[in-house]
Amino acid sequence: MTADVSTIYLLDVATGNSVEAELRDAIEQAQIDDWQTKWQPALLGILQDLARNGVPMSQWPQSWHWNWAQKTARVQGLLAFRGFSVVAQGETQGLVQVDLTKAGREPNQVRKPLVYIDYLEVAPWNRPEFGAAPRLRGVGTALLTAAVALSDDEGFKGRLGLHSLPQADDFYRKIGMTDLGPDSAYQNLRYFEMTAEQARAFLE
Amino acid sequence: MMAKRTMTLNLTDAEMRVLDDLSLRKDITKTAVLRQALRLYQTIEARVEKGEKLLFENEATKEKAELMLL
Repeated sequence: MTADVSTIYLLDVATGNSVEAELRDAIEQAQIDDWQTKWQPALLGILQDLARNGVPMSQWPQSWHWNWAQKTARVQGLLAFRGFSVVAQGETQGLVQVDLTKAGREPNQVRKPLVYIDYLEVAPWNRPEFGAAPRLRGVGTALLTAAVALSDDEGFKGRLGLHSLPQADDFYRKIGMTDLGPDSAYQNLRYFEMTAEQARAFLE
Repeated sequence: MMAKRTMTLNLTDAEMRVLDDLSLRKDITKTAVLRQALRLYQTIEARVEKGEKLLFENEATKEKAELMLL
């Protein structure tokens, strides 16, 4: 299967210029190779810096142990799971894997199907929380937009759900998702949902 | 968007009523109900093939019942 590719634009933080990028509706071997050979060494450098500077582990990037090779292999061939990737400047800039078998919990959409974001991660060099200025902005939003658009395309009206890592809680509140509080059945991570109305507002 | 193919589906009145009801309750189209059913069926099959069981648990009584898949 060949991925469908759409053109999107990201912001190059250093120059202020927009950068053409590909939004691909799949996570392919090239993305796994980039994760292994580019993301992993960059992340290792960041973790070494954090350890050297005495930053407590609670403040480390909470996705540092994610293994995209395993995550994608586990769901290969299953219709219930889909992936998207953003590629720019010859490198994978972000990845998202979603599950289409989950249902809503928000009172207005209880048990209605939604797109559930299993994992969303942006390349280490694009993440502002590590101190250095990010290289490209807009990757996470592009991936989230792809997930909302998929929900719409599947007839789920943009409904979206996810468990947020604490470092991302504020972002999901800022884009208007409903915070349904900590989920004791899921490592106490906060569960967020986007309703059909919120999805419409998000896409506008 | 992934390319899709069209097929004709023959359903009994009873099956059509269930499809209509699910479409209404789940707030999705009838096509979406069938696509969702296919995803779930494939997911369950894949897990059962790996040796897992499909169990339902009553939230109140914690009673578990296994769904037998033939």
